[in-house]
Amino acid sequence: MHGGTAVPPISRCSVMTSEASVDYAQPLPGDFAIWIFIFAELLVFGVLFAAYAFARSAHLEMFNAAQLSLNRALGFANTLILVTSSYFVARASQSIKVGRSRACGHWLVAALGLGGGFLVLKLVEFHQDFARGISLSTNLFYMFYLALTFFHFMHVVMGMVILAVVARKAYAGRYSAADHTGVETGGSYWHMVDLVWIILFALVYVIH
Amino acid sequence: MKLLRALPLRPCTASWVALLFLTTISFELGAAAPGGALMAAVLALTLIKGQLVVSYFMGLRRVRPLWRIVMAAYLVAVGGVIAFAYSIS
Repeated sequence: MHGGTAVPPISRCSVMTSEASVDYAQPLPGDFAIWIFIFAELLVFGVLFAAYAFARSAHLEMFNAAQLSLNRALGFANTLILVTSSYFVARASQSIKVGRSRACGHWLVAALGLGGGFLVLKLVEFHQDFARGISLSTNLFYMFYLALTFFHFMHVVMGMVILAVVARKAYAGRYSAADHTGVETGGSYWHMVDLVWIILFALVYVIH
Repeated sequence: MKLLRALPLRPCTASWVALLFLTTISFELGAAAPGGALMAAVLALTLIKGQLVVSYFMGLRRVRPLWRIVMAAYLVAVGGVIAFAYSIS
């Protein structure tokens, strides 16, 4: 019999972890139910992205002109913020896999702070847009822009609620190296929100 | 030794740095003249960024190939549809 506590062999995202020791046939991280939700969300956003792209092809000049009016710097800053928050959530997941629940909570709180920063910048951007008289009925580009970004905004809010619940449970010591499905479930949702924004940023703010 | 072991970047940390770098390149490319080359470059960078998030943040590099294929197919499909729509405009 061997003594000591059992630590999962894939507990760290590190170059120090031998690739040969990594099991590449694991199930999806977290609760499988969240993945059904994630795939459904990705499908919805995928259809909206396709609709935007084809609408643009039919109204090229109008889309290009309206796109120039967007605050690209805020879109860029928000991308950096969301990517970093996603990284923090990944570190939270790694922390709990080695039983560091307080560190897990700290990473999640940091991610929540960045999520709040994203919302503030997006509200500033919406305020600027509305101050210029832009609305859903201004034209087809702004309809897509406002609908897509607001739809995503609500996903960020939902993600932050989930992360807050997970962080609270982490601080309460409800997760461990052996039982941390909740952290991976909430984290997977947050990474999906980040993934969607990465595509949205390129599509709406950059490509013209 | 402890310090030396701490020096190499974790894959997820390296991915984060790469994501910040690729996002900055995408943003700078946005100031370039519009055209197919810009669209192709930004889309390619976006697919790479998406794959980094899927593999190293979501942790799908360790899951069954089926799920990795599904996510990669999603990214390629979305990128392909966007590229096609832009090519006919």
